[in-house]
Amino acid sequence: MKMLRLIIASRAFPLSATLALFLATTAQFGNAQFGMDAPANPRAYVLYAAEQQTVPAARRAVLELRFQIVPGFHINSHTPNSQLLIPTALTLEPSPGVKTAPLQYPAGEPYSFPFDPADKLDVYAGSFTVRLPVVATAGDHAIDATLRYQACDNASCYPPKTLPIKIVFTAK
Amino acid sequence: MLATGIALVVWSGWQNLRQRRSAMQAQQQGRVDLIPGQPSAAASDSSTGQFQLRGRPAPAFTLLDLNGNKVSLSDFKGRPLVLNFWGTYCAPCKIEMPWLEEFSKKYAPDGLQIVGITYDSEVGRDTIARDTGKLGVTYPILLSDPTAEKDYLSGTDALPMSFYVDKTGKVIEVTAGLGSKDELESMVKETIASGER
Repeated sequence: MKMLRLIIASRAFPLSATLALFLATTAQFGNAQFGMDAPANPRAYVLYAAEQQTVPAARRAVLELRFQIVPGFHINSHTPNSQLLIPTALTLEPSPGVKTAPLQYPAGEPYSFPFDPADKLDVYAGSFTVRLPVVATAGDHAIDATLRYQACDNASCYPPKTLPIKIVFTAK
Repeated sequence: MLATGIALVVWSGWQNLRQRRSAMQAQQQGRVDLIPGQPSAAASDSSTGQFQLRGRPAPAFTLLDLNGNKVSLSDFKGRPLVLNFWGTYCAPCKIEMPWLEEFSKKYAPDGLQIVGITYDSEVGRDTIARDTGKLGVTYPILLSDPTAEKDYLSGTDALPMSFYVDKTGKVIEVTAGLGSKDELESMVKETIASGER
């Protein structure tokens, strides 16, 4: 099943992105996922599109953090329409020389599972961008952060996951 | 490594195209295939893992309920059972649980027993009780453990997952994911009818 879900990623993604996903996944978890000893949760449903950003030093600027959700899956938005669901949330570690303001999450889109069209959830699918306002001293910076999310497809849901990321940017 | 990766991508793309065509056909028929052996992505690996329980005796378990009491599979001996693995984070689980509650009452005269098994029991009994209370669930809710997950789920973490056990203790069907209410009721009826002497 895990291997098949990796396969599902391949059609809608460009070849390079799919290959990157494959390499990233195998690099993180090794080839065990294709064997009998595969770990219970060997894959990520969300990828971080890390990109170097440049902002003006000592002035308020906004970093854009882009995430890609594996095709066929969705995750709850930051404000799901139910207290019983787990919202997508990014937590930041302190970083010397960087002051951050509250994260700005995008609005989700309505989603209903088959067989219950009346129940509208609020989800992210495809890609989404979280905006991070910062004021940073001149120089290169890296902020460690963790995205917590919970993914589903059109019939099943999967346990919450965390995605550690490193936000790198230059202020000058 | 790179060549292997590219080869896998090409192969997987072709495989995925086949799966998507099957899934599209299923959607056009207004249903999501949940049953092993039928053409959907969810059922494509049905020959392995949790689906291998079909036709076999349900694995024994002893789990704690929300009051801390031990509950065993053998406590339900001789009754048709639906063992429904669910999670507090699982939206489709919470769609079908009120249906299961309804069937629990409707088919009580036939001896039907629904048992919910909470996959994310680490969230605590209070959270689980809050959720099941909001859903109106009154059937027994148990806390899963690694042995039950190994025996039933075989490593998958997709929820909901249900096991239909007839009165002889045999698993007659396994479903993964949310199906329609009618499909679910149909399988409940099959479970009740199975094993009649």
